Amino acid sequence: MVDKPVLSMRELVERFVPDGQELMIGGFAFSDPTALAHELIRQNRRELYVMKTSGGVLVDMLVGAGLIRRLLSCHVWNSVGPVPAHCFRRSLEGKGGAPFEIEELSYGAFTMGLLAGACDLPFAPTTPLLGTGHFETRTFLPDKLGQVMNPFGSEPVSVVAPIKPELGVFHVHRVDALGNAQMFGPTGEMRYAMAACKRLIVIAEELVDTEVIRARPEATVVPSFMVEAIVVEPWAAHPTDSYGYYLRDLPHNELYGSLSRTPEGFAQYVDEWITQTGNHSGFLAKLGEAELDRLRLRREQW
Amino acid sequence: MVTSGASPFERMLLTGAACMDPDVVTFVGFHWPMVMARVARRLHAPAMTIVYENGIVEDRITPVFPTSPCDLVAADGATMCAGSVDALYMWLGAGRVGMTMLEAAIVDRHGNINTTAVGPYKKPLVRLPGSGGGTELGSMGRGLLLVSASTNSRSYPDCVDYITSPGYLGGRSQRSSLGYKPGTGPQRLVNPLGLFGFNEAGELFPTAVHPGVTVDDVRACFGWPIAVPDTLNVLPEPNADELAIVREELEHARERAYLLPQD
Repeated sequence: MVDKPVLSMRELVERFVPDGQELMIGGFAFSDPTALAHELIRQNRRELYVMKTSGGVLVDMLVGAGLIRRLLSCHVWNSVGPVPAHCFRRSLEGKGGAPFEIEELSYGAFTMGLLAGACDLPFAPTTPLLGTGHFETRTFLPDKLGQVMNPFGSEPVSVVAPIKPELGVFHVHRVDALGNAQMFGPTGEMRYAMAACKRLIVIAEELVDTEVIRARPEATVVPSFMVEAIVVEPWAAHPTDSYGYYLRDLPHNELYGSLSRTPEGFAQYVDEWITQTGNHSGFLAKLGEAELDRLRLRREQW
Repeated sequence: MVTSGASPFERMLLTGAACMDPDVVTFVGFHWPMVMARVARRLHAPAMTIVYENGIVEDRITPVFPTSPCDLVAADGATMCAGSVDALYMWLGAGRVGMTMLEAAIVDRHGNINTTAVGPYKKPLVRLPGSGGGTELGSMGRGLLLVSASTNSRSYPDCVDYITSPGYLGGRSQRSSLGYKPGTGPQRLVNPLGLFGFNEAGELFPTAVHPGVTVDDVRACFGWPIAVPDTLNVLPEPNADELAIVREELEHARERAYLLPQD
């Protein structure tokens, strides 16, 4: 095996995410790679087709900044409070901000669609959905869900089409130079989602020796041969949490929730926290060591 | 000891918590069900097994109140951290979960829940978060208890604009013909007025009310002429311990940035 290119976040966006890119972003309200969203906003990417199971504040920012043309998701909200994802809501209610198209799947159907994509299956049976809004309402994916008769029984079965994102960028905990990536704690749909992507880049909290990976092989969520490039960016998932590394930052979520209530406040957040900080190191410097210390988890070596 | 002064919201949380069985594996959804679960652990079910959609299995109270199941203080002391295929299909869909708790912000006569959009889908009057795993809980959950903190009739339309989580759709017989498994579908709803069930047609009706709640209160809460039985049981007043515990947990929730109804 050969070492994988190690990119900065800026290089990742410059080289892999042109305008119009179809992009699956990892995370399920934890391990959301918010630092990637910041860089997409700094480089002013446009017309993106974003897929993300739980959109959260990350997707809300991309919507507010007008980067998204199409969104496939199962949930978009600020789970602290909880309070609305204000930019998302304003845009869909036609009350300001750039318009975008939304298509939705339930979390289970999204998971099974990714599993079908990962396994190269023609479809996957999923949650019974007949008669629900997800089944009846289609936007830009008219064939997202279907119905077959159980070949071994007599009842209708809801099925989901395979999802195969052109590019995936996922937050992980640690990676070696070869691209073996590990995560601890719950993984939601992430293993299937990573394997469903045609090209995959991981953003890791730390780069470790392969011997460290070998010591806990059961924690590897994606093997080296499925990873194309690596970004090493500590705190990339802030303000969501990174299991064993840091906690969810509730005050920062509240700050975002309160500023994004108005378009002016959102613009102020983007200017202060994304544009003026220049890069993720600048963002962390603005957050301050005391805040990072409050959130940092001092785990034993795994 | 009987204590007066419990708010309708506190009564709802205690009534929901009392529905939780220490011996039944319970799937707990986002928001108020998480508060009920903490209250139940402190009152009568300390070692109850609880699972969350991201794959966490929890069998004791966590030191810190999670703001959502994906606030990973929820995984502190977990006995398993798995994934969504495990939680939604191996545990919920396969029937290993015996009780399911789901918040129902807007719920109709047949227990169909809308957490997506009020008004036309493409030009909504109010856009809501979307389903998350709530569709799975409505579709596949056994022993499903719906939770609503609202007593406003706008939260209980005759028919929801978008079915995010299926209840009985157009009625019990329709649901059973569309591939939903027997034993699934909402069984109860708890709100600040009391407890509700679903009749043979799959329609919501009151079964027991909190002390002081009248039939008129019940009728005014719903956006259709709800059928009220001749006799309504009255739920017990919370005792001092119960009230103290629910207030402590609400204070804990407030410290963890929850927006509470009185805020």
